[in-house]
Amino acid sequence: MTLVYLLEKEFKQFFRDPGLPKMAIAFPVLMMLVFPFAVSMEIRNINLVVVDSDRSTVSQRLIETCTSSGYFNLVDVCDDPVYAMQLMDMNKADAILTIESDFDEQVERGDGAAMGIKVNTINGTKGSIGSAYLGNCIRRFYTDYKQADMGTIAPVIDVSAKYYYNQYMDYKVFMVPALIVIAITMLTGFLPALNIVSEKETGTIEQINVTPVKRSIFILCKLIPYWLVAFFVLAACLVIARLVFGYSCAGSLTLLFLFTAFHIMVTAGLGLLISNYSDNAQQAMFVTWFFMMIFMLVSGIFTPISSMPEWAKAITYLNPMRYYADAMRCIYLKGSSSLDVWYDAVGLLSIGTVMVTWAVLSYKKTV
Amino acid sequence: MKEFGSFVKKEFRHIFRDKRTMLIVLIMPIVQIVLFGFAISTEINNARVDIVGDVQDPSVRRIMERIEHNDYLQVMKVYRSVEDIHARFKKGQADVAVCFERNFDERLHKQGMASVRVIGDGSDPNSAQMIVNYVVGVLNDEQNDISLKYVGENETAGMTPTIQYMYNPGVLSSYNFVPGVMGLILMLICSMMTAISIVKEKEFGTMELLLVSPVKPLWIIVSKAIPYLFLSSVNLLTILLLSRFVMDVPIRGSILLLCFVSLIFILASLSLGLLISVISSTQRTALLISGMGLTMPTMIFSGIIFPCESMPVLLQYFSDIIPAKWYIIMVKKIMIEGVGLGYIYNELLILSLMSFVLLAVSIRLFRKRL
Amino acid sequence: MENENVIEVRNLTKKFGHFTAVDHISFEVHKGEIFGFLGANGAGKTTAMKILCGLSRPTSGEGKVNGYDINREQEKIKRNIGYMSQRFSLYPDLKVWENIRLFGGIYGLSSSTIRAKSEAMLRYLQMENLRNELVGRLPLGWKQKLAFSIALIHEPSIVFLDEPTGGVDPETRRMFWEMIYATAEQGTTIFVTTHYMDEAEYCDRVSIMVDGVIADLDSPAALKQRYHATDMDSVFRQLAVKAQRKE
Repeated sequence: MTLVYLLEKEFKQFFRDPGLPKMAIAFPVLMMLVFPFAVSMEIRNINLVVVDSDRSTVSQRLIETCTSSGYFNLVDVCDDPVYAMQLMDMNKADAILTIESDFDEQVERGDGAAMGIKVNTINGTKGSIGSAYLGNCIRRFYTDYKQADMGTIAPVIDVSAKYYYNQYMDYKVFMVPALIVIAITMLTGFLPALNIVSEKETGTIEQINVTPVKRSIFILCKLIPYWLVAFFVLAACLVIARLVFGYSCAGSLTLLFLFTAFHIMVTAGLGLLISNYSDNAQQAMFVTWFFMMIFMLVSGIFTPISSMPEWAKAITYLNPMRYYADAMRCIYLKGSSSLDVWYDAVGLLSIGTVMVTWAVLSYKKTV
Repeated sequence: MKEFGSFVKKEFRHIFRDKRTMLIVLIMPIVQIVLFGFAISTEINNARVDIVGDVQDPSVRRIMERIEHNDYLQVMKVYRSVEDIHARFKKGQADVAVCFERNFDERLHKQGMASVRVIGDGSDPNSAQMIVNYVVGVLNDEQNDISLKYVGENETAGMTPTIQYMYNPGVLSSYNFVPGVMGLILMLICSMMTAISIVKEKEFGTMELLLVSPVKPLWIIVSKAIPYLFLSSVNLLTILLLSRFVMDVPIRGSILLLCFVSLIFILASLSLGLLISVISSTQRTALLISGMGLTMPTMIFSGIIFPCESMPVLLQYFSDIIPAKWYIIMVKKIMIEGVGLGYIYNELLILSLMSFVLLAVSIRLFRKRL
Repeated sequence: MENENVIEVRNLTKKFGHFTAVDHISFEVHKGEIFGFLGANGAGKTTAMKILCGLSRPTSGEGKVNGYDINREQEKIKRNIGYMSQRFSLYPDLKVWENIRLFGGIYGLSSSTIRAKSEAMLRYLQMENLRNELVGRLPLGWKQKLAFSIALIHEPSIVFLDEPTGGVDPETRRMFWEMIYATAEQGTTIFVTTHYMDEAEYCDRVSIMVDGVIADLDSPAALKQRYHATDMDSVFRQLAVKAQRKE
């Protein structure tokens, strides 16, 4: 029965707060409306500068082959390699193609041609993709040139690409479940982290500690509201995705809610745990932020887990967001069933159980 | 000026008394920069390729071997039915499937054309596109070899340009992400630290005490910022040392310039924190605005992970107001390209202007709300 | 019946690192008395009181509150005591009636009991038209009276008051002590710490803590006689002057 009274208190406090309810609505809504547009890593418009010392019709054809591929944006064709390098230093060129002066003869002779590619690899992915594109263009140019020379056509491998679950390569739809994951994780991590510590700061926790309330009941009452907050946020985000972007969940909605429920055990449990150990709100905030950043950046949400070094991959197994994000994406985008993502459930439930138990145990009524 | 000195001392005492918070503030960036510097990478390693087709077919076999030999790709499973791809994707067991049409070799050589379809798991479009591009690249190589053989050229004597990777010859992800993570961490820690400085005094009612003193509001704010400036400089130093010696990111340009630029950025972040502190009514709001409200925009719009060039125009304008974006551009230029002031004055000007405006606005609002 | 002890403490000690906040204190509190627990700031009163309430564990020593062991049966102790701390600790963002209902609920009272008790309490405190006011908006004196009444909602046999009248105006203090008397008359034991020496005069017995030990303990009249003083203030000053500890 005590549970009811304590829950009543938590809800009243939540709704009476001048900022919290607004934030719980505004944060996910803004994220869903703005962020999906910003998350493409597609590499196009690579700024290309050509240093053409040949200036022949052959080199002209090579440049045309490159620009017509659609990947490059021709910034300048010049003779001066130093000037080209300056353009790269100023971030105006991503790649430089150098064509030597006897290019046309070399191509004609067919024993290969001296050519140089310089790519800016600060962003390694962009650099290596850029150089791969350029290399491809050059080879295509050469074989086309030779074939035209010979007047014959070789057998053709007809390559077509297709993408399942996302036919038109819409980046927004990919981010929708991820943003839901982030919004829910942040809200249900930060709010509980500030909760117990603020009771400590106002001194009300002492009044609770001197009553015979059970620790597990007290923690449970702190957890339950965040389940509802999360469900509300999830529902709101799904509605926004439907109305604004026209996306709908490919899999079972029930499963989405179920995984969210599991995940809240982890985030809210962790938040309360941090709150228990913190002396003041600032500490709680810093530590929660610390974990949130790690959860987010090594979860596979933004960059693939498969790209990480082995030790970092091992760490991701302790990261609840890895499981949650994976499950939400699989269910939302691919329509995976519970059998497909059972391991995510196991991961979340194990971490969640540890978190909640630890939160209860670390809440000490007597010090 | 004497009052000002004692104010600064008081602020220092406040901060240094809370040893735990200080420890957190100083240790957090170390763990984060090391973890993120190594773990965040968009490079594709060992993408998992399924082959759908007949392995007995000589052409299919050849292409499959080519894929096997590619450093970025590995063949996971070979099967015959396109129907099975869905199950594999749903369980997350394969990233891409290469489907060859029936009698591939025969069609290729007898009819002069054979089809192959590369199917990516579009639920992660970024990775999918990269992986599909790699596979298509392998197929193009094969095509070139066939063509060249057909016209009687030596297979290997194609056009192989020499490729020079500028600035980052090892193509290490850390060169790209470490400056980004530096910006993110400095921004957030600085603003979160200062965010509660003024609002705390408001909540505890000690603000009145400060206000009746003869010190001007400007100096009250400045005195609050100074200790944090000190702590942030320590953070900056650790981050720079770690990126240089642990992450092996070079500092090719002038260290002095780098530190100067970083100080301007720290100033901008502190001012932002102060602004949040002035406009919030409770510590909780201030902390949530800085911690939750700043993290996401900074992460998404500063170009750390997603290049700003790929964003819609409207959002590119929005990204221009994120201070971290300018800082990260400058850090990359100074640390990795090694260029001098002449190449960054534009960004530096924008960032300085931002710090100035943020500080001015927070002081103005602070005065107004007295 | 008169001398039945509700609190018995033997050699109670609490150390924080090298600092001994409470140093081997022993005393008894009789049922139904008003027991004054005096001492300068930092003398260890609050620490000692927190141990008795089950908020803190003693480093050594033993004791019983209501017959329950302070080392092992803290949760049982909590069922039968009321507590009001020097920091005001009702929920400021809850209304008056909501605070009453919450604490009533926590102590397991039925909702009809809670309703009846709230009505009686509000009438007694003359706060009937303030029931829907947020507690944070009440003047301090009202808050303290409300906190005291709520500490009694489950009819505990002992109530611990930690500087209940700190910062309150004299008129409210007087009313507050009337409430304490009324409560004591119903047989509830009152354990109160205070700064105000005139309040010490209202207690049946007084203990004075200096530097973590009990310097003396007796009725105000006996203490005054012993130290040849006309008021408790003078008694206190004679004892506290030996203090080594700074605040």
